[in-house]
Amino acid sequence: MADLFSNLALGFGVAFTPINLMLCLIGALVGTLVGVLPGIGTIATVAMLLPITFGLPPVGALIMLAGIYYGAQYGGSTTSILVNIPGEAGSVVTALDGFQMAKQGRAGPALAIAAIGSFFAGCVATVLIAVLGAPLTKLALAFGPAEYFSLMVLGLIFAVVLAKGSVLKAIAMIVFGLLLSMVGSDIETGASRMAFNIPELADGLGFATVAMGLFGFAEIIRNLDAGSESDRELVQQKVTGLMPTAKDLRDSAPAILRGTVLGSILGILPGGGAVIASFAAYTLEKKIAKDPSRFGRGAIEGVAAPESANNAAAQTSFIPLLTLGIPPNAVMALMVGAMTIHGIVPGPQVMQKQPELVWGMIASMWVGNLMLLIINLPLVGIWVRLLRVPYRLMFPCIVIFCAIGIYSVNNAPVDVVLAGVFGLVGYWLIKHDFEPAPLLLGMVLGPLMEENLRRALLISRGDWSVFVTRPLSAVLMATAAFLLVLAVLPSLRKKRDEVFVESEN
Amino acid sequence: MSDTPSHGPVNSIMPKWVRCPQDFVGGLALMAIAAFALWASSDLQGMRGFSFGAGTAPRMFGILLLLLGVGTAAMGLIFEGPQVAKYHWRGPFFVSLSILCFAVAIRPLGLVISAFVAFMIAGMGTPETRWKETIIVGICLTIGCSLLFPYALGLPLQLFPRFLIQ
Repeated sequence: MADLFSNLALGFGVAFTPINLMLCLIGALVGTLVGVLPGIGTIATVAMLLPITFGLPPVGALIMLAGIYYGAQYGGSTTSILVNIPGEAGSVVTALDGFQMAKQGRAGPALAIAAIGSFFAGCVATVLIAVLGAPLTKLALAFGPAEYFSLMVLGLIFAVVLAKGSVLKAIAMIVFGLLLSMVGSDIETGASRMAFNIPELADGLGFATVAMGLFGFAEIIRNLDAGSESDRELVQQKVTGLMPTAKDLRDSAPAILRGTVLGSILGILPGGGAVIASFAAYTLEKKIAKDPSRFGRGAIEGVAAPESANNAAAQTSFIPLLTLGIPPNAVMALMVGAMTIHGIVPGPQVMQKQPELVWGMIASMWVGNLMLLIINLPLVGIWVRLLRVPYRLMFPCIVIFCAIGIYSVNNAPVDVVLAGVFGLVGYWLIKHDFEPAPLLLGMVLGPLMEENLRRALLISRGDWSVFVTRPLSAVLMATAAFLLVLAVLPSLRKKRDEVFVESEN
Repeated sequence: MSDTPSHGPVNSIMPKWVRCPQDFVGGLALMAIAAFALWASSDLQGMRGFSFGAGTAPRMFGILLLLLGVGTAAMGLIFEGPQVAKYHWRGPFFVSLSILCFAVAIRPLGLVISAFVAFMIAGMGTPETRWKETIIVGICLTIGCSLLFPYALGLPLQLFPRFLIQ
């Protein structure tokens, strides 16, 4: 317990230095600015803004990235509420009731409740990370290569189960990602694999490059297809009366609490917690409400619960990353990319060797949430004005910005071309109803999985049964198998589809 | 990586026994990718005793993807499903062209020219573009980026063409 407080104190000591506060503020502002742009989700925002943190010291860079991440998420909910265009999957459900509230002239309270809910969830999640961080790190030290491999299999299976649409296609996307991660040099022998003697490929495909292509460029191309102006109905009234009434607060308080609990639990699970957390929270609210018909017509609980769940999950998803070194979703994978650029390998060692980095980042998450609450509510007017910029002017700007961003990662023109190619691949994937998020997760986990698989088999002298004979690994594998069976069972599939369908129309 | 969206609307070409062209074509493409990966990693060393060679993991995932591709295509034959969605050429073409131009021009011509040219090309991606405002916004963006990236963020980007500096 004393450890906990001293750790948190250390973290806040780091986060509250003026320079780090400044970086957190800038990150949150820029993150919101980009996150508000319709069609740019959290992943694309973080990928796009990655280069701006390169020049900073590691702690500052990670603090700024955390700020960008929260800003992007908050920006996503702002667009869902005001324009009914969710910037990312996580805020799809927020758009349902949030936009209805905005239409009734209650955009202010909706935005405020979203921010308050997020802040509360953020506070709880910060404490949770601090509490769980140390014990989980100890657990992680008991993990051998076999356990790591099994855990990653479990994470990928989670991603499959929680992805929408066909299970088979989601697995296919993961394996495609794993295959892409094989490009480059072999870790052990240094042999060049599938690089075709292109020097830029010798180091492997850049993660940010692929992310920007699949989520940035592909999304832009698809939006152009749809006819950019057609589905934008911006709330025209002025956003006035930001403060929610006492009744609003009373109604949403329990919803925020439930959303936070649900989100915190789902976030820890590897495999893309934030999205499913908001869906699950919305479904739960609707199930237990006295009058479910209010949902979809501007029920404030329908904004409060998913937004809190979303944020809680976003934050607790740092736990597997910081303790086990395994990124549970695509955004965390980008964080790993950023850490690697600064020479930090996430995992239990970081927690012990660079405590000021880890705890500083955890504390700054809380600070970031607070800043969003304080700065963003007064700035709503500016975000609204930004949304009025027509897409025909916005998308070339985004294209150029992404291109410069990718180029500046390695100063390599080939990276820009590759991102363009992956933009087309992503467009094709969207057309064939393949989800790009599992692909990205597979691509990040690929090298880790291969390394641990090889090591496990080397230790066991080529005996594949290690994965089921070592108890911890066996439990993880059994859970993964169980989940996979559940996911393909027709009854659950129907339920799962319902959750997504319900929240999409 | 071997596939680009060149299929076009396939609904008329597909024979009747393909119930879900979207999945069927998707599965075929996955198989093609897997086959390509298997071919590309065929020169790598395989298992040595019980230790993995460089080519083991790529081959393993390649075969897995091949099987999944077969599975997806088979699903396309068994279950009813949507047609292949319509492709538009204008957006993808001009956005890709813009990216390509940027990549080619950034080294020799510097940020100012490549950003502006790429912006104008990207602008052609939609028929809604009005040229006057696009040019104005393009100039503003170019100025903004020229200040932001090299100066505010300190990234080593060259602003002007190489032959002008020398």
